[in-house]
Amino acid sequence: MFINYEHNSHVYNIEVERKKNQYFVTYNNNIYTVEAHEIKPGYLKIRLGDRIIKCVISENGDNRFVFIDGDVFRVKRIQLTGMKKSSRKEGDLTSPISGRVVRVKTKKGDIVKKGDVLMVIESMKMEYLIRAPYDGRIKRINFRENDQIDMGEITVEIEKKRKKQ
Amino acid sequence: MKLFSKVLIANRGEIAVRIIKACQEMRIKTVAVYSDVDSKAPHVQIADETVNLGDPTPSESYLNISKIIDAAESVGAEAIHPGYGFLAENPDFAQACEDSGIKFIGAKPEVIALMGDKIKAKKTMEKADVPVIPGYHGLRQDISTLVKEGKKIGFPLLVKATAGGGGKGMKIVHSEEYLEEAIESAKREAKSAFGNDSIFLEKYLDRPRHIEFQILADEHGNIVHLFERECSIQRRHQKIIEETPSPVMTPELRDRMGRAAVAAAKAVGYTNAGTIEFMVDGDLNFYFMEMNTRLQVEHPITEATTGIDIAKWQLRIAAGMELTLKQHELTQRGHAIECRIYAEDPSNGFLPSIGVLEKIEVPTGPNIRNDTGVETGMEITSYYDPLLSKLIVYGENRDDAIDKMIWALSRYVVLGVTTNIPFLRKVLEHKAFRKGDITTHFIENHFKNWTLSKDGLPVDALIALAVYDSMHPGREEVVRYKEADPHSPWRHAGRWRIGV
Repeated sequence: MFINYEHNSHVYNIEVERKKNQYFVTYNNNIYTVEAHEIKPGYLKIRLGDRIIKCVISENGDNRFVFIDGDVFRVKRIQLTGMKKSSRKEGDLTSPISGRVVRVKTKKGDIVKKGDVLMVIESMKMEYLIRAPYDGRIKRINFRENDQIDMGEITVEIEKKRKKQ
Repeated sequence: MKLFSKVLIANRGEIAVRIIKACQEMRIKTVAVYSDVDSKAPHVQIADETVNLGDPTPSESYLNISKIIDAAESVGAEAIHPGYGFLAENPDFAQACEDSGIKFIGAKPEVIALMGDKIKAKKTMEKADVPVIPGYHGLRQDISTLVKEGKKIGFPLLVKATAGGGGKGMKIVHSEEYLEEAIESAKREAKSAFGNDSIFLEKYLDRPRHIEFQILADEHGNIVHLFERECSIQRRHQKIIEETPSPVMTPELRDRMGRAAVAAAKAVGYTNAGTIEFMVDGDLNFYFMEMNTRLQVEHPITEATTGIDIAKWQLRIAAGMELTLKQHELTQRGHAIECRIYAEDPSNGFLPSIGVLEKIEVPTGPNIRNDTGVETGMEITSYYDPLLSKLIVYGENRDDAIDKMIWALSRYVVLGVTTNIPFLRKVLEHKAFRKGDITTHFIENHFKNWTLSKDGLPVDALIALAVYDSMHPGREEVVRYKEADPHSPWRHAGRWRIGV
């Protein structure tokens, strides 16, 4: 699942997949494989490599408080909702916001992996990352760095890698 | 001597809880009063009897003298403990108790009134040979009088608007040649800012510290002091960290200040627990600032280092018992620190933070004390002071106490409102604090515009959040994305919404 968190007007895009007690958390092109247990409600013990992260989380609607190492962060889970049924082709990555393209991290013809960041769009001091939804090849890039972009415009077109026969 | 059989506590929060527990240990029945928003508060839960005061507005509840007197009469309480804040230093309340035949656990009304008048208090102390900050607060406001008085006081000199505030009409003068100019300029500023050009002069204290002495005085003329508390770490002129002993204290200075404190209490015929606040400058000259005629927020650090229960002594003294403590037998041992846990945001001008306390877990361990008046599920409203609790630690020495406090703060979980806990820890971890190099300007000098985590959310927190939310998938998301391609990030595309 994809989750977006807002903290101090920055947006963080995370993908997380779960297999029993194993979680695969993708953030900023890094995949963190962790093992996690909820010891009592809100109290998590997370093993990341040879480290243990202990934290306490409370939830109130979309608001989250995270206690970690004595610091507390107030975070909001944000839903990016209201998607209309679109006639767009699979592989057309649209911009979720109106803003400015601050980084283009790929070029036409590049082979990309699922989760790779292709483009960074900034709006209201927040950054939104356009990621590859699956392994594939970049067919077309519609914007250059510093271009203005409107919500819903297609940022990058990507061709899905065919499964080996 | 017989103790009271029933005491009403005219307060709320941690201090009401503290006093109720002291009464319970002494087998005194307790009565809690509470406003409508506090009906489930811990002080209400633990008391033997409760009286509802209604409307949470302070003037309609905890500050309402007639409601509280009526409550005490209705339950047959023989005495009222006012705690601190609210009616604790209100001479009319102390008088109203006396008039109703209820014992007020604190100083006499006339003493409260005298010490509440800062100028009269200073004059009384001067007469008793307690040093006061040299100054001129006179009515003669012509330039030549002010210059003459200024020279008499000496430099550096503080020139301040009588109606002052916010630094307007305030000057620090370092030598005689700038005095006249500074007085004229302060008067002009005061005139335009407050419509009143009256100013006063006071010796400016370099590297000032706030050091206070706890005293206990019975109704038979016995007075002892319980040593000092260093309270220099303040924000918005309110203490946030207190410790004892003071890192600058010497046995000789302690003796002199202690004797001055006892003399100050004697001068006004003080009874019960009280505190003499002094300013101490960089050269360790001390000056009387004011007397607090009540139990102090920070009294537990004195209890930790002396082994004396101040709240219990307040009850005994009020019941007419004689002090059995003798000055020469009193000793301090080890080091104690208190941190005040406030629901406030240090990254945002220390403004109070309101909300529901979703989770609280207090650190426990040897020599760690938590005086708290809140619990999980309670709502922090804007009606009252945002103090949630006090964390007190005791160590063999100052370093040990600092380390213990840092440990305890880093394990103190409060979720649901923003608290100053991470900030307190940063203060304790500061090199200057460790060295004892502190003044009342400490926060201003070292923590101006402080914010938690300049680098944003740590990756560990993001991982934890993602794991948590995938353990507890929201009902909403499950439905919303059921049909969507699970690998497609642009299913998020559309209306960009940042929650309110």
